[in-house]
Amino acid sequence: MARMKKWMDLLLPVLSVFLLLTLWILLHVRKPDIMPAPLDVLQKLWEITLHPISKATLPIHILVSLGRVLGAFALASVLGVTFGVLLGWYETFHHIAWPVFEIIRPIPPIAWIPLIILWCGIGETSKVVIVFIGAIVPIVLNTVAGIRQVNPMLLKAARSMGANDMAIMREAVLPDSLPSIVAGMKTALSTGWMCVLAAEMVVARQGVGFLIIRGMDSGDSALILAGMVVIGVVSALITVALNYLEVRLCPWKVTQK
Amino acid sequence: MSLEGNTEIKLEHVSKTFVDKKNMSYPVLKDICLEVKKQEFLVLLGAGRTGKTVLLELISGLDGEYEGTISFAGGQLETKDMGIVFQKYALFPWKTVLENVEMNQKFRGMEKEERIAKAKGYLKLVGLEGFENHYPHQISGGMKQRTAIARAFAGESDIMLLDEPFGALDAQTRWQMEEEVLRIWEEEKRTVIFVTNNIEEAIYLGDRIVLLEGSPAMIKKEYIPDMKRPRSYTDTRFLELRNEIGDDFALVL
Repeated sequence: MARMKKWMDLLLPVLSVFLLLTLWILLHVRKPDIMPAPLDVLQKLWEITLHPISKATLPIHILVSLGRVLGAFALASVLGVTFGVLLGWYETFHHIAWPVFEIIRPIPPIAWIPLIILWCGIGETSKVVIVFIGAIVPIVLNTVAGIRQVNPMLLKAARSMGANDMAIMREAVLPDSLPSIVAGMKTALSTGWMCVLAAEMVVARQGVGFLIIRGMDSGDSALILAGMVVIGVVSALITVALNYLEVRLCPWKVTQK
Repeated sequence: MSLEGNTEIKLEHVSKTFVDKKNMSYPVLKDICLEVKKQEFLVLLGAGRTGKTVLLELISGLDGEYEGTISFAGGQLETKDMGIVFQKYALFPWKTVLENVEMNQKFRGMEKEERIAKAKGYLKLVGLEGFENHYPHQISGGMKQRTAIARAFAGESDIMLLDEPFGALDAQTRWQMEEEVLRIWEEEKRTVIFVTNNIEEAIYLGDRIVLLEGSPAMIKKEYIPDMKRPRSYTDTRFLELRNEIGDDFALVL
């Protein structure tokens, strides 16, 4: 039975990818002019890896997009965790800041694009700001949730050992909320990746989002799909990397499961 | 204010009432008067929900809102001046056994080498040599509670408060831990207040047993198990005392 299950665990994911490819090919057979075959897309990926579009090859476009995401993500992490700790720990600050946050929070990052372009122009800043808006929200939410769920016994124990407020924050509150904060960062990074593509599709000369728009403008459906495949693959790789990082950062949480 | 003679902790007419958001009052403790002697092993015995943990929180200063007075031989004591062992271990899951024990003196500002040496000493005392680098989720419940005891002892307070420390352990481990805690106490005498709902545990451990009962809880009776240690569960006087307490022990289920 155990061996059988092991085989199924390997086989089922392969089957599901195969099913997706079959559907794709069926679509291609019915509408070959607007739906390119998987092989055409692969060929297009190879082509744009070798020959630059808008002065950049595919790896450069990916790096440009990733750079925007990572820059905004780093900024959102620092500010988001700080803001989340203040919101979660200090009752007065919570009363002051939470309503404002709660009103701004539900506005999708994409809805900010016109305003940000008016304010920051069409340069790098506006893309970073849009990603920042998308990334900071899950980080703040998860930090607040983590801080509020800190095990009160740990705080009592720390007090009985003579810990002052700073030490309690550093040695008990922050580490106990870390799994929740890391989960927020995971969400933030995938949200950020979505936001950068949206921003690039509106205005950019490089980046994966730009590739898709270029594909649409030039009627090159293989280029559109190539861009979409890249989005999916990069996003999956980010998730794998973050899961690994999560295990390293919070080993006590992961092994408990 | 210091206390006379041999008294370490003195509670005078201590009462505690919780008030909820709808302004409903829930009296938990009423008129508790109690003196704990230096180096005494005092057991607070009571069924579930008789305010034992609340009383311990008042003594430890974790909860400062009550009526009456609590005074100590050592003057004004705060939470940090007492070693506390909690029901559910309260270990830091991201720290190793050694680091957990070390924390007590780290918070108090002791140099690293000194506090590590001290922590190792207390881990040896509770029989956890060789487990220094394990994380709490890698060791058994009994070992977690030993770690918590070592951590509380490492603060070197004269007063130790143990809140149903063996409640979550299986019977076998529980007996072992009872023996262990007596051995540690005899090696390093402190004033101990030990909370439990288990009559046999109370008789096995206590110099004196205080029975809390009712709602709000009051001190119903005191017992002195006048037997030499180690006490035997099958000793005639052990059984007599167990029956006596059992008759007084209203099991409100």
